[in-house]
Amino acid sequence: MTKVLGIDLGTAITKSASIINGEPKALENREGSILTPSIIAQTKGGERVVGILAQRQAITNPKNTISAVKRFIGRRFSDSEVQKELKLLPYETREKSDGGVEVKMGDKWYNPIEISSMILQKIKADAKDKLGEEVKNVVITCPANFDDSQRKATIAAGEIAGFKVLRVINEPTAAALAYGFGKKDAQKILVYDFGGGTFDVTILDVSPDVVEVLATGGESHLGGNDFDQRIIDWILAEFKKEQGIDLVKDALALQRLKEAAEKAKTELSSAMETNINLPFITSDADGPKHLEYKLSRAQFDSMTNDLIIRSIDRVKKTLEEIKMNKSEINEVILVGGTTLIPAARDAVKNFFGQEPNKSINPEEVVAIGAAIEAEILTAKEEGRTPEGDIKSVLLLDVLPLSLGIETLGGVSTPMIAKNTTIPTTGSQVFSTAVDNQPSVEINVLQGERSMASDNRSLGKFILNGIPPAPRGIPQVEVKFDIDANGVLTVTAIDKASNKSQSIKVEGSIGISKEDIEKMRKDAEIHAAEDQKKKESIEVKNIADNLIYQSEKTIKDAGDKVSAEAKKEVEDKITELKKVKDGDNIEEIKGKTEELSQAIQKVGAAMYQAQQQPQEPKKEEGPENAPEAETEKE
Amino acid sequence: MKEEKTKTIEEIEKMLEEMEQKKEEYFLGWQREKADFLNYKKQEFERLKGTLCIAKESVFEEIIPVLDSFRLAEKAISEEDKNNKSVIGLLMIKKQLENALKALGLEEIESIGKSFNPSLHEAVEEVEGGETGLIIEEVEKGYNYNGKVLRPSKVKVGK
Repeated sequence: MTKVLGIDLGTAITKSASIINGEPKALENREGSILTPSIIAQTKGGERVVGILAQRQAITNPKNTISAVKRFIGRRFSDSEVQKELKLLPYETREKSDGGVEVKMGDKWYNPIEISSMILQKIKADAKDKLGEEVKNVVITCPANFDDSQRKATIAAGEIAGFKVLRVINEPTAAALAYGFGKKDAQKILVYDFGGGTFDVTILDVSPDVVEVLATGGESHLGGNDFDQRIIDWILAEFKKEQGIDLVKDALALQRLKEAAEKAKTELSSAMETNINLPFITSDADGPKHLEYKLSRAQFDSMTNDLIIRSIDRVKKTLEEIKMNKSEINEVILVGGTTLIPAARDAVKNFFGQEPNKSINPEEVVAIGAAIEAEILTAKEEGRTPEGDIKSVLLLDVLPLSLGIETLGGVSTPMIAKNTTIPTTGSQVFSTAVDNQPSVEINVLQGERSMASDNRSLGKFILNGIPPAPRGIPQVEVKFDIDANGVLTVTAIDKASNKSQSIKVEGSIGISKEDIEKMRKDAEIHAAEDQKKKESIEVKNIADNLIYQSEKTIKDAGDKVSAEAKKEVEDKITELKKVKDGDNIEEIKGKTEELSQAIQKVGAAMYQAQQQPQEPKKEEGPENAPEAETEKE
Repeated sequence: MKEEKTKTIEEIEKMLEEMEQKKEEYFLGWQREKADFLNYKKQEFERLKGTLCIAKESVFEEIIPVLDSFRLAEKAISEEDKNNKSVIGLLMIKKQLENALKALGLEEIESIGKSFNPSLHEAVEEVEGGETGLIIEEVEKGYNYNGKVLRPSKVKVGK
């Protein structure tokens, strides 16, 4: 199957995605990042570098480091907007004979198309590294307001890079495709794209056959960088107030501050408060100065609130332009890293009165949508089904609820966890709960609760004829097998006698959706108390078992142990017996531990006594006993 | 009578052929699925190794700034304090931290005196004096881990 790429060719950052094992996925570049700066440079040594490497050397080589050519691609030199942008550039530009823009790198003049193609070449080479094969078919995205000439130029850049450009699609359209909107019914979708440096809003009418751009709006200089700057300004002001030192003049301190501000912003997306901690930020006659501030999310929100209001105002204006009411918007999609800021999400949610779509990483969503489109187009070309949409005869189900059996104390012990793909099997070895227990009862359970009585019993059976043995010694293997039709077979085998018994449960795996939902909800609600109940039973089981083992050890030991050691163990047993049926778990645990230590001493003494006269006999001790025990009949 | 019988046999043969085809289709699908699973396991193993590296990287990313602060602190120690026992002890802790990170596979990138290379270094300033393109000062140490630049060194380059 031909590999495809979706490319989000950005002004500052370029991203790409492909379909891997049927899933669209953003691709990392050679430097290990999904973000490739859209920067090209010719180094002083005459070497051409692209992306982060070009960015790293920019300061030593500003004249030959070309960035943001997307602003000029397919545009005329004489455009007033182009003229405005040109003034801000560190590199040389001139008017081309055909009226376009040319930029100078090294001794040569380049067309913005050629520069863009160099970025795309890097994307191509890195994708080959990652996917293990050359990629030809691509879909490239562009802003919704790109005109025909700009789109043609984008296609040309892709072709020069050696791609077959299947289509150029709008960035917001790609985002809508990534979410799979418009497959059935026509929908009005608003894309709120808050990036690092720009803010764009687009209203789309998406239907199965056609995507129409109803309106676009935005601000070319409003983005995440402004949020960082607010934090930096705040720290600078605070530091000046406290220490009387202006850090603006200290390039190095400012650099550290910038990194710290970005980190603080990111942390405040998940935490309610962050520490900005920069020791030895600077020094004066009194010695070194440290910088330490706490920034809460509320503080951050109040210092950046106007930026978010500006973006929402833009959304309002764009809606007004086409006389659309916000209630007519069916879906809102968040795009761009700045939408990770909780206040931005809340503002959008409050404005529209509906939860925006944000489940796909907003930094990757455009490239992912482009990759999906590329896959659909390629599949059509090759006359196959798009990957990830393959209908197969092998439709495999998953278990809706866990399956298990009841064990000592009425505990539900899971055998196969929910969400396991079927057909599947699971087995575990259990043992008896009392000496000479002749049979075990297997109670097959379905559900997520910790206690057997709270789960649904699918059936019971008894395995008879277990040869007499002390408790914990017999080994009973319980095996669960579910076939592709959901038929469950539970088998219990006594390993000593090879006797087995089984039960078949048909149809009960597929209980109604409502029942499944109810059982899951119940499990969630009762999770904490169930856990506690289960723990208390387990603690009691351990205590019980230890009492049994200790009594047996003392009896077996006869006069090999001193009377006082014996007495100690017996005392501890009595103490544990007194508390073990109560409700004080900690007390039971404590007494169990005490008895365990006492009996260990006895064990060690016996072992030493045995060592001296003869070779130790290999003992089939309770240590070899299985981990859980079935409830006695 | 006879003709009818032949027809039935033909029908059965046709059915058999169809069954044969279906069987083949399922069998191949099964084989493929099994191979896919084995391959998936291999890929998962590789991915696990990769995840381990990523996990380590994120630990390094958190700890390296602490080391940066240690270095800044060291630079700020005055001449008279340099022989103070407590100061010496603190610097030993810095060394200990450096050694621990080294043992985990973190490598320092060399910079001073080398020629500037954007794969390893990030230029923060160009300064007069020194040979053009040579690194004169290291502002922040850079690190490699597992053949990957975790962070380039921030340097001043001569012009």
